[in-house]
Amino acid sequence: MGLYIQLFWQFFQIGIFSFGGGYATMPFLYEIASKFHWYSTSELTNMLAISSITPGPVGVNVATFAGFNSGGILGSLLATTAVVLPSFIIVTIVSKTLEKFKTNRMVKGAVRSIKPAGCALLTSVGIKLIFTSNLHLFGTILLVALISTSFIKKLDPLFYLGISAIAGLIIGYLNWIGV
Amino acid sequence: MDKNFYSIFKTFFKVGTMLLGGGYVILPLLTSELVEKKKWITSDELCEYYALGAALPGIIAANTAIFTGRKLLGTRGAIAAVTGMILPAFISIIILAYLFSAIVSIPTVQHIFWGVGVGVIVLLFMAVKEMWTKSVTDKFTLIIYLASLIATLSGKIPLPLIIIASIIIGILWQQYEDKKKSKEEL
Repeated sequence: MGLYIQLFWQFFQIGIFSFGGGYATMPFLYEIASKFHWYSTSELTNMLAISSITPGPVGVNVATFAGFNSGGILGSLLATTAVVLPSFIIVTIVSKTLEKFKTNRMVKGAVRSIKPAGCALLTSVGIKLIFTSNLHLFGTILLVALISTSFIKKLDPLFYLGISAIAGLIIGYLNWIGV
Repeated sequence: MDKNFYSIFKTFFKVGTMLLGGGYVILPLLTSELVEKKKWITSDELCEYYALGAALPGIIAANTAIFTGRKLLGTRGAIAAVTGMILPAFISIIILAYLFSAIVSIPTVQHIFWGVGVGVIVLLFMAVKEMWTKSVTDKFTLIIYLASLIATLSGKIPLPLIIIASIIIGILWQQYEDKKKSKEEL
């Protein structure tokens, strides 16, 4: 019982506090991984990759996966419901006060300040993942090469996942991963 | 076409199924289904729902679905839309979770996932870059960014607290700026 309440509460918080969509859920999902062991951080990066090739938003995918990992089908139902329930409540309130909401100075100030904070949270996940992913020499080379190319020309996310999957296959085949 | 619970659910289920690669394609998908094919809402309304959905907390796809569903059929419409939108994700992950545990111990699969892990970090930093250009626009937002980054990296402050603090500071700063502006105008 305690597990289900905790699952619900943790994912409910993601629904309330993640601003910026998609990857904005990552900082919270990362923190859950280190606190509750419902999934590991490497499972989380796997999930993010899987999310790019399966239907649906990343936040929903990981909620379903984490819930399933820790509490079976019931757990996955609870976690998924919890992550969208705040949206339901907030959107209902905002719809009713839509005109006021759009011109409110407090809302404007809050939104302006939340965006850089959300960006900072995501930056820190990126930094933490670099240090916890066992990149070693060849992973670091791959990372630097891909980030540099992304700065020159932004390509489809699937391109980066595809290239890095092939690189992983080759580097693994040559037994260079731990080098 | 008739706007009932089932037809709204079916339409959003279709969009949810085609929603690959994390959210960015949702606007063109919804435009094609809701504006062009069904003619349920106008393109302007959809853009407004999407912009609001992105400004509010939570998953943008879910927020947009709830806004649109509410407009079409009230609370029932919202439930139909959001359920349709997330059900494909739910089903595909449950199936994958079963498959995943069966293949994860194969060395070749582990190599692929090790490589993909690097790709995921690249995608994260691409998202950071995009958010950065949209959000860090002046000294104030830069300070908020740096302060939040230090707070997060320290690992001692809960993330919700950082978000709440940034909301409060943002509101206060906006009031300060508004006051300064109205004084200057006098």
